[in-house]
Amino acid sequence: MNWYEKIGHQLFEPNRDQSPGELIFFKIFELFVLIYTIKYAWEWGIYTELRNTEVVLPLGIANYIDISIFFDWNLALINAAVITLLSVIAFARMGLNWFYMAVMVLLHIQYVARFSQGEIPHSMNLIGMSVLCFAIGSIWFPDKKQMPRFVIGSTIFFIGLGYTSAFFAKLIGTGINWFDGRHLWLWISEKSIDVYSTIGYYEPNFLQELALNHLPVASLILLIGWLTELIGFTMWWKKIRPYTTMMLIGMHVGITLTMNIRFDAFVMQLILIGFPWYLLIDRFVKSTPKWIEKMV
Amino acid sequence: MTENESKRGMKVLGVTLLIMALLVAPHEGEFWPFSIYPMFSQAGNPWTRAMVLDVTGYDTEEIWQQRTNEDFIGDPIAVREYGVDEIDFANYVSKTENWTDNRREALRIMFGLQNFEENKWLVVKAHGHLAGKDSVAVDIIPWILLTKDGTELNPNINAAEYMKGGDR
Repeated sequence: MNWYEKIGHQLFEPNRDQSPGELIFFKIFELFVLIYTIKYAWEWGIYTELRNTEVVLPLGIANYIDISIFFDWNLALINAAVITLLSVIAFARMGLNWFYMAVMVLLHIQYVARFSQGEIPHSMNLIGMSVLCFAIGSIWFPDKKQMPRFVIGSTIFFIGLGYTSAFFAKLIGTGINWFDGRHLWLWISEKSIDVYSTIGYYEPNFLQELALNHLPVASLILLIGWLTELIGFTMWWKKIRPYTTMMLIGMHVGITLTMNIRFDAFVMQLILIGFPWYLLIDRFVKSTPKWIEKMV
Repeated sequence: MTENESKRGMKVLGVTLLIMALLVAPHEGEFWPFSIYPMFSQAGNPWTRAMVLDVTGYDTEEIWQQRTNEDFIGDPIAVREYGVDEIDFANYVSKTENWTDNRREALRIMFGLQNFEENKWLVVKAHGHLAGKDSVAVDIIPWILLTKDGTELNPNINAAEYMKGGDR
């Protein structure tokens, strides 16, 4: 067995039997992704329709087409409606195999239309990657014995890869001194202006005060967060996964406390995907409900 | 899932990774949902954000004076209460290079013209940078005043800075 087959074993667990708990958990995860997909589609669509007037920063496919056409004629809202319809049908397994892929493409368009205003947020990326994994899974692994394993395994793969990638982006972008606490001071002060602008007032919390008053503390906070990103890929190994996940969740709590940046969907997804919830479900459920079996 | 399907799964992931590399490489690391997650990768750089201050009641001389984040005047306006995303607003202010009449008027329209019947709101740029070895300085630069009659530019700033960018 070569190295990538070993990783495949950790991600897809080919020798493990499928259990009711696994199928129930899979549908819970899919429901979570569905809810966020619909939520984002409408939030982005409504904002695009109401607020966007010109493209400040073209992202993705907006580099090649004039995405500003989605600012008028209710196109962003129509797109949100189509995304909703297709994703609900795909969730119920009543449509064609490529419905999730169509949702992926339309959601990409919705994202680049909404975020054409200069900022590139990342808090929605994991939901996007999950939709992509459902899209690939439903086309190439449509069987109910294959799809849950592929979707969950590949989602874990991309989550781990993303965190480790973020570590190297910082190493390349700044160098080994990235964790200099003064960098955190700059970010705290930058986010303080955003907080003023968002809610009208700002008070530094205890951790921010501590970091602003003690440079070594600020440096330590950055170093711990940075090293946590580095080990993101260890999520690929199932025995280490819960521990890596807990560290990543801790890192996100730290980011929220120090920089006022919330990654709600990220953290919820980590909680769902980082722990073997199917074992808990299997304790209470001995057979898969028929309606779930039909929709896997 | 069988052993063979697991191997096939890894091959599919490999192809997806290749597609990801081809998409993000020419697009500065971003092709949603693919990303190399470059946020915060360039540390230590100065930054510019923006906010709106309610300066109703302040006189002209006070309004146009440059201050810091510790002594600025006026109450910050919570832009979200007006349906405006604070990040989009900051980008609009910090990245606009040519402050044409339309761009300036768009700020008033953004918050609703009725708000300026009795109020004067000041759009400020906040510019943060490392000052020396052990502190961060945040300059609050008065940029555009929004009133019931329209918009006013800061008379203390060279008009050229409002067109074709400038240093601030």
